[in-house]
Amino acid sequence: MHAVVMDSLEEYLAGALKPAAQREIEAHLNACDTCREEIRSMQDVSQLFVSLRSEEIAAPAPGFYARVAAQVSEHEAVPSVGNMFGLGFAFGRRLIFASLLTLAVLGSYLVSRESGYAAGPSPEAVMAQQEAPAFDSAPAQDNMLVTMTAYEH
Amino acid sequence: MGTLAGTLTLPTFGSKVASKTRVDYQNTPEGALVQRAQAGEEAAFREIVERYQSKVFSIIHGIVRQRNDVEDIAQQVFAKVYLSIKNFDFRSSLITWIYKITVNECFDYLRKRKVRKLVYESDLSEDEVRRVENSEPAVDRQIPADSSLAQRDYVLKLLTRVSEEERMLLMLKEVEGFSVEELAEKTGMNENTIKVKLFRARQKLVKAAQRLDRTPGLVPG
Repeated sequence: MHAVVMDSLEEYLAGALKPAAQREIEAHLNACDTCREEIRSMQDVSQLFVSLRSEEIAAPAPGFYARVAAQVSEHEAVPSVGNMFGLGFAFGRRLIFASLLTLAVLGSYLVSRESGYAAGPSPEAVMAQQEAPAFDSAPAQDNMLVTMTAYEH
Repeated sequence: MGTLAGTLTLPTFGSKVASKTRVDYQNTPEGALVQRAQAGEEAAFREIVERYQSKVFSIIHGIVRQRNDVEDIAQQVFAKVYLSIKNFDFRSSLITWIYKITVNECFDYLRKRKVRKLVYESDLSEDEVRRVENSEPAVDRQIPADSSLAQRDYVLKLLTRVSEEERMLLMLKEVEGFSVEELAEKTGMNENTIKVKLFRARQKLVKAAQRLDRTPGLVPG
């Protein structure tokens, strides 16, 4: 579409152009097939909108506000996850972030402990402890328990 | 006309248009009313409902034409206004904001009505229901007895092919009869922006109409 039509398209479609501008556009449309075709299609579609105009004066039945208020209460009664705990959106986001951070720290701590266990007592040390004769003494019993725990891992 | 789209670069409106200063809606009596409603004052919200209820009813009736459902949709509209009034940022007038909510609510209603009708008529799987929910609203593919109803169905179908913003602008321009200048004032947008958006929206409607006219079973008004 050429600028001469495009600049005044809305006014042209609404029939609100001043006579001089109207003449200018019509002169162009007489000479330009493509603009004429495009504007005709737009006029056709534009005319369909008349069907959406409501001629009826619509007035709500008495008590409309009370029914809106009831509708609002219904909406407010449906709790969201955040509202259930009385949390605002921003606070909820912070809480989720803090929880994830805590999980990450705990996770890395557990992983480091796990690798500590893996490096535990060597087989030779365990054998040496098993060969120790003094089972009746308390430290020796503790050693035995430690050894058994090491095997379990 | 579709062939023109390729030759068209960005529309160059503006040589004849002088943009006006934006209206500061926050510092108007209506702005004060909204601020009271935002602060949770029920009387202010009630005033908003009473001020705009007739307008909302008319918009809904124009689109939906089901008198029984108009009030239900209007209730939904004002419930949404209440629940999101805190997000109203005064960039547009209050009625423009309410208008957008109303038009969206109507299209949502038509879409749901179509789904209900299809579910009633046949047993759809959940995937099918979801697909239909995302499609166009309930527009009958039969010729309604009244030609204005046929036109209404047709234009509603076309309006599903444009964005919410484009739909609102087209409705405000074509149904409410606002000029570009008035639209700029009401929406807080520049006049040139309004013209460009309307031009693109109109192009989309024309293309959608051309596609629909080729679809058997759908009769334009």
